[in-house]
Amino acid sequence: MKLAKYVKFREEKFGGVLFETRSEKVFTLNPTAAAVVRAIEQGAGEGDIVDRLTEDFHNPDGAVAGEAAAFIAQLKEQGLVVE
Amino acid sequence: MNRLDRSAEEAQMASAEPVRSSSEDLGAPLYIAWQVTNECNLACLHCIEESGPGKAFRDEFDTQQVFGFLQQVMDLDVPYLSFSGGEPMVHPQFFEMVEFVCARDGQLKIETNGHYLNPENCRRLNELGVKAVQVSLDGASRETFNRMRIRGDYDIAIEGVRNLRKADVPIEINYSPTRFNVHEIGAAVDLAYELGAYSFYTGRTMYTGNAVKTWHLLAPSEEQYVEYFRVLHEKVEEYRGRLRVHFHEMGLLDELRYRLQHPAALLIVLPNGLVKLINALPFVCGDLRRQTLSEIWKNFQNAWKDPRIAEFVDELATNPQKTSALHKWVYL
Repeated sequence: MKLAKYVKFREEKFGGVLFETRSEKVFTLNPTAAAVVRAIEQGAGEGDIVDRLTEDFHNPDGAVAGEAAAFIAQLKEQGLVVE
Repeated sequence: MNRLDRSAEEAQMASAEPVRSSSEDLGAPLYIAWQVTNECNLACLHCIEESGPGKAFRDEFDTQQVFGFLQQVMDLDVPYLSFSGGEPMVHPQFFEMVEFVCARDGQLKIETNGHYLNPENCRRLNELGVKAVQVSLDGASRETFNRMRIRGDYDIAIEGVRNLRKADVPIEINYSPTRFNVHEIGAAVDLAYELGAYSFYTGRTMYTGNAVKTWHLLAPSEEQYVEYFRVLHEKVEEYRGRLRVHFHEMGLLDELRYRLQHPAALLIVLPNGLVKLINALPFVCGDLRRQTLSEIWKNFQNAWKDPRIAEFVDELATNPQKTSALHKWVYL
């Protein structure tokens, strides 16, 4: 899993931004979403990302895991992330 | 070039928990549009920059300034950069500049009149990895294109686009409407698709630059614009999923009023390093010969709140000719 060819990610104080440069659309990311994209950039798989966020955000009840999984699905659906 | 600033916009929230943000929240610009030179091989009737042969600014960036600026763009992780002009491909260091950006994983778009897109140059652009090349094609026929693009040649521009396609370089087409080419807009979109473009851009031609002197030849009537945008709406549907037909229907005044409330995270950099808020305003918010890009970005945040900008836009409502002097820069 990786960012699509024309997608750039930049960290920001509020989280981050994804810029899809072909359509010139910008997506703002909250801290959880930015952490997901950062992990994707680092080459992590979906399972690893969910585990990592659960630990990093001290969220054993699974809320963050669910949020991250839904976000990854959203990224794939919008073509921002490819396999 | 002549069009409204087409800037990156916060189009959607992709996060699971959306965060509200504006350009004020960003640590750096999202898009820098750099007019690398005012020199051009053509002298188009509508050129917003009044570019042409021998029209390079006397104080354009030297080599050290060019690469010092590009290094700052890379260091700030600006995700999107475009080279325009004038004609960017006449800059003596054009390919070195492209290589500098692309080698550092920058997403670079070249905005050109298409007259230097020979097979060798297209092959190099592909190898260097430019994001896209945008070619100005203001007509679907030799007659209209050559009328608009003084010293230009429709056949050369078309051949240039075909060379891009052969070299597998992503293609965008830009179209500036005039009273003598508006009727070709449908054919122009069809042509863009046939040439292999993935995007087609247009808007309203601005009353500034060379257009001030040629307005009587250029300005489409409102009736023509109505038909123009009607056709474009049809083309959006016709090519959905195959070619992105993108256009600004709103006039300059509405656009500027919107920008006053929603400044885009975009900097316009002139060939001499002056930084403008937006193409359609005369206001300068920085000078890269004296300030860092980071400092200018901080100025940019406040510059849009300067009352002179709102006054200018208000006056534009009663005096549309105020855009005739956009090159008389106002320093904020």
